[in-house]
Amino acid sequence: MDDFSVWPPLIGGLMIGLASATLWIANGRIAGISGLFGQLLPPTGTVWWRLIFLAAMILGGLAAASAVPALFSGFQPQAPHLVGSPLWIAAAGLLVGLGTKIGNGCTSGHGVCGIARLSKRSFANVAIFFAVAIATVAVTGVV
Amino acid sequence: MHPEHAPRYLAVAAVTGFIFGAGLFIAQMTNPLVVLRFLDFGALPSGGWDPSLGFVIAGAIVVMAIGVRIAARRSRPFFERQFYLPEWTEIDRPLILGGVLFGVGWGMSGICPGPAITLIGFMPENLWIFLGMMFVGSFIGHHVLIAMSGGKAPAPAE
Repeated sequence: MDDFSVWPPLIGGLMIGLASATLWIANGRIAGISGLFGQLLPPTGTVWWRLIFLAAMILGGLAAASAVPALFSGFQPQAPHLVGSPLWIAAAGLLVGLGTKIGNGCTSGHGVCGIARLSKRSFANVAIFFAVAIATVAVTGVV
Repeated sequence: MHPEHAPRYLAVAAVTGFIFGAGLFIAQMTNPLVVLRFLDFGALPSGGWDPSLGFVIAGAIVVMAIGVRIAARRSRPFFERQFYLPEWTEIDRPLILGGVLFGVGWGMSGICPGPAITLIGFMPENLWIFLGMMFVGSFIGHHVLIAMSGGKAPAPAE
């Protein structure tokens, strides 16, 4: 990691925290992306703000992609690509959808908001999914 | 008008979603390899381990924890009637099973739901497969959760 810089991940993390804190204080909602996504399915009465949040996330990512090389000199993000075969990707997507719905949260909802709220459910869920993900990579390798 | 349909409420959703997505990109959480190289503790001795995810989540938790303290002084949010906290408080079987299933999927792909959505702007090959199956998984999971909870309606997301 010769070229590792702490600033992009730290600033990105602070921005995620700022967005989560603002949504909580202003609208009283947890910025849990699996919940936002999963609750687009019926039955639900509050689709609009979820759709707007998700669409704005996409725009925010694109805007950052065009602004960031000018903000951080030497920071050259690679074009993202998914690892593994289509079948592998399908299985992973299914498991992420299943697991975050059954466990009622993901990296944002449990990992950021739940830990910050000192929720014991979130501590348990986060410990489990990090341990299992690390074990999974240890078995499969970085595909 | 219900608070959730007020322009200011929707504006908060737009601004916070934008900052969230930009933060994910700046942190390079949209690159599955950066996430996988954090989870790859086997690469520690060779110096190939990527600590990025640790800084991202620590930074986010610190700011959110401040937000939680600010919110705790208020009886209600600025633009809503109440804070929507998850109704469940116990560590139960669905919470554990969900963590295991999500952990496997995350370790296989390096993608969790936030980056999955943000990546739509970049449309890498096969992303639609991941998103489609994530939606299917969420749909099936909804019914698994109801079955495991003895027919209770699911709580709002945590």
